[in-house]
Amino acid sequence: MLTSVLRRPQGLSKFYSSQTRPFVPPASLNSFDFRQRQREKPRPTTPTFYTARPEFYDQLSSLESALQYAKTALTTCHLLPLPQFAREALPPRVNAWVDKRELGLKLRSTLTTSRYRRVVLVLNELETYRSIAEKAGIMELQEGIRGITELFERADAATMLARGKAKPVKLDEYGRSYTLGKRKTSSARVWIVPVQQPPVDKSTASQSIPAVTEADSALTALLNPNSSSKSNEAVSVAQILVNNTPLSTYFPIPADRARVIHPIKLAGLLGAYNIFAIVRGGGTSGQSGALAHGIAKGLVAHEPSATTILRKAKLLRRDPRMVERKKPGLAKARKRYAWVKR
Amino acid sequence: MSTKAGLRPWLSATRCMRRSQLSALQHRRMYSLLSPDDWQLLQDRRIRFKMLVDLFSKHGSNVTRDNAFQPHHQLHRPLAPSEATLSALIAAGAHFGHAKSLLNPNFMPYAYGVRAGITIIDLDSTLPLLRRAANLTRAIVARDGTVVFVGTRPDLRAVVRKAAERIGPQAFHVGERWLPGTLTNKLQLFGSDVAKEQRVTPDLVIFLNPLANIHAIRECAIQHIPTIGIVDSNVDPRVVMYAIPANDESPRAAELIAGVLSIAGREGRVLRDREEQSKELRQSRYMRAQERGTTRYVADRD
Repeated sequence: MLTSVLRRPQGLSKFYSSQTRPFVPPASLNSFDFRQRQREKPRPTTPTFYTARPEFYDQLSSLESALQYAKTALTTCHLLPLPQFAREALPPRVNAWVDKRELGLKLRSTLTTSRYRRVVLVLNELETYRSIAEKAGIMELQEGIRGITELFERADAATMLARGKAKPVKLDEYGRSYTLGKRKTSSARVWIVPVQQPPVDKSTASQSIPAVTEADSALTALLNPNSSSKSNEAVSVAQILVNNTPLSTYFPIPADRARVIHPIKLAGLLGAYNIFAIVRGGGTSGQSGALAHGIAKGLVAHEPSATTILRKAKLLRRDPRMVERKKPGLAKARKRYAWVKR
Repeated sequence: MSTKAGLRPWLSATRCMRRSQLSALQHRRMYSLLSPDDWQLLQDRRIRFKMLVDLFSKHGSNVTRDNAFQPHHQLHRPLAPSEATLSALIAAGAHFGHAKSLLNPNFMPYAYGVRAGITIIDLDSTLPLLRRAANLTRAIVARDGTVVFVGTRPDLRAVVRKAAERIGPQAFHVGERWLPGTLTNKLQLFGSDVAKEQRVTPDLVIFLNPLANIHAIRECAIQHIPTIGIVDSNVDPRVVMYAIPANDESPRAAELIAGVLSIAGREGRVLRDREEQSKELRQSRYMRAQERGTTRYVADRD
């Protein structure tokens, strides 16, 4: 019975094709090719066709082949397996690979997180081998691997890696530094320029007057704007202008003034710099704190040796304390209403 | 008398295994890699050591790296179907089944017994079934069929890839998850132009871990595609058409079986090439005979 079914291809047409087939005599069944129509079609070309994501897996397998090749090359050069002390001597790997979307575009297939991580794992290993080759001086291999890894590196890799780090403050063509200081809701824009020493005149009578230290005169001048010491005309004095007014006028409270001067005093640069600042927002203590922050950052730009002491005094740190919000059920941020027994 | 440190603290592990400490200078010299010259020194040291080892390898034992077992040999130098022996299967750990409580009753004919709570698979039945599967693969590849190797575990990825590479353009591999609908929903997965113009339905599918790919096996059954699979003791051997009872958890066993099948496939390809060549030769002879007018059948002459 089974053989009769075989000899009547029309009976099987619903499994093979919708079109009827001609009757084939039994003797020639051996040579008859039922799947001829199927055979005429071309076969898929990529071996990963049945994964339904052939482009991605082909790319990944080519990356893995490159990795294997690099590993074999390094093993031949007796650099792998690398002992622990040699691995520690390598520079730390810093890389910024393209993000998932970009990598998907490069590999011409949408990536899930797990697939992205797989590719990044291979790229990280390639980068490790490249650094080994670079350190050992095998330039050909190093360049070959670099040719692959640079295709997957972010264009703005440098900015990405410097994201958490502070930008270095640069001095402009006049030697001024521009820094920003903040405290509570105030912000201060601070320009600091070194004081220019006037040329010393030997013939003048000012020589007979005992030389007053610059720091003292600067401090006096700052804290007492109205007193004018005529004897100190030859010595230039560092000034601090806040919103185009002298410091002592802008901050009448001594505590605020002291807060502003504190970074300059600690660094020992009291008469050395002229400071001009624009402060906005907040109240007196916020503005003075913002000014101190900006001045500290500016001083570090001019005098990097002052970094340690200013950092120890926490003047380079933007004080994160802000006014706490009022909460419902409380009179203020923390103040509770009077407790009533009943 | 036992103390807090132990019975005999002078014989403790830390004291026995403590080696002589290197001097600070020696340590610095050995373990500093600051300049490229230091790296060169490291390479030189290693080359000299290797030369010494190679020199002395010529004397003494005849067992070398090449003729001793190496784990990567199974992947890159597999056994041929005729070379697969019981010892090879046992060495690969193909006889370990799952726990006795997980034994599938339909697997009973292929189970040798139970030892240490584990079902031992009868390799006397495995070997002929492996040879049968190899013959099938060879025959299908010789008739221009497409073969798909499916191994969806991380350790099976390289195995299926290598096996497909060995057979050539007729073989494919799936090392990641089998997407449901690959065979039954071709239009959506591959697009209408690919599904209609290319030969998408394979002629044989080989499963290295059938239990994890039960949906793929079902799709093959719907599409009437013959399947070969490594069935373990917790699997019903009837899920696949040609079962090979063996350990599906061992990568070594999978490498051995996939290797045997891929070598058989390669032999099939060689057979096919030879057949094509002989066919071409016959055709060209016939064409020449036709031109000359010396064909066997008078009717074929012009």
